[in-house]
Amino acid sequence: MRSELANRVEAVLFVAEKPVGRTELARVVGATPRQVETALGEIEAAYGGTGLRLQHDGDEWQIVTSTESAPYVSAYLGADRLRVSSASLETLSVIAYRQPITRAEVEAIRGVNCDQTIYTLMSRRLIEERGRKETAGRPILYGTTWEFLECFGLQSLTELPRVLTPEGLTREGEVTSETEAARD
Amino acid sequence: MSDRGADEGPVIGVRPPSVQVEGFEGPLDLLLELVEERKVDILTVRLGELAGEYLERVRALGSLPADEAAAFLWLASRLVLLKARSLLPSLEPIAPEDDEVTEEELRARLVEYAAVKQRAVALGDRLRSGERAFHREGGTVELPPKGGDMDALAAAWSRVLQVAARQRHEEAEVPAERYSVEQRTAEIEEIVLREGRVAFATLLGPEPSLSFAVVTFISLLDLYRRLVIDLEQDELYGEIRIVRKEPTPGA
Repeated sequence: MRSELANRVEAVLFVAEKPVGRTELARVVGATPRQVETALGEIEAAYGGTGLRLQHDGDEWQIVTSTESAPYVSAYLGADRLRVSSASLETLSVIAYRQPITRAEVEAIRGVNCDQTIYTLMSRRLIEERGRKETAGRPILYGTTWEFLECFGLQSLTELPRVLTPEGLTREGEVTSETEAARD
Repeated sequence: MSDRGADEGPVIGVRPPSVQVEGFEGPLDLLLELVEERKVDILTVRLGELAGEYLERVRALGSLPADEAAAFLWLASRLVLLKARSLLPSLEPIAPEDDEVTEEELRARLVEYAAVKQRAVALGDRLRSGERAFHREGGTVELPPKGGDMDALAAAWSRVLQVAARQRHEEAEVPAERYSVEQRTAEIEEIVLREGRVAFATLLGPEPSLSFAVVTFISLLDLYRRLVIDLEQDELYGEIRIVRKEPTPGA
């Protein structure tokens, strides 16, 4: 049985056309952020096996459609499938797993110039600027966007595909909840 | 390595507008491919042993842009140096050059790059599978403007009536003044640059003619489009302020 609070939170998220912060949810439904967190958990559980899901980036939440229903929603919206070159995917994967990160750091990892791919990813709104690194030259930091999560069907950054690295370890610790919290 | 960023000496291929070169994303990609072709363990292979093959492949790449070639050759020279050091252990005591990369550093880089490639493939798979999410869009209920009470509406209507009456008056007695958008744009630009900010009402003056208002409005749209000005309004029906746009730092 879902709590009344979960219903309130769900109703607010239903009308929201952009992600809503947990603090704001707490304010409008008259609860503490911690209670809202519990309510969000209830909603998330209730969405299992339905056409909807909860997606969150850091502490921002929104109701989105399930990945299973993507073909039908695409058909309704007339949405084109996103195409991304392998070079852009490499840059995107470095940024996704290491965010926030500077262009020079991405280039050091990929071993090639990344101007073009970063430009492409920016223009497709898969990445965005995340302030500046407090080092010499104050280079721009990049991170992934809300659209990135949607386009790749990730409910949050913790769902990034875990691949077996050559060391034979899964590198799941790289985007931690701490990293997410630090972005709020 | 990752924190050294731009200070990292000759970061491989920092300049070239690198797209794919002959099927490779760059020097590290080529080296990784050699490792995979040989089916050797990335963690134990002596990277220096790959120097010969690497050079051959680079030669086979044919004419690369100079910058691209430099990036590939930089890595080649590191590999050759690693090979030389392993063949002649007596070289070890020689102090390493500033930008010298040890085998462990290069290996770590290669390992990391291999992980990046795998993740990129995994992300690409997700993309191709089309399993994505959508959020609700454009479904927001349009709320009536706040403060739109009956009095405000009545006041607005009477202003419209006044303007309309004045129009007829002008048409009847004054030959229509001609305003060009170019001229008005230049005027407004000068005012904004000088004053920093100006109210929309000030630009219009007390009793603007319709054509003057229209030309002023179009000029403002043009200035906004050209990123010369910003527009501010604190509340609905509030004063609209035209503000000089500060150049974006770093842009």
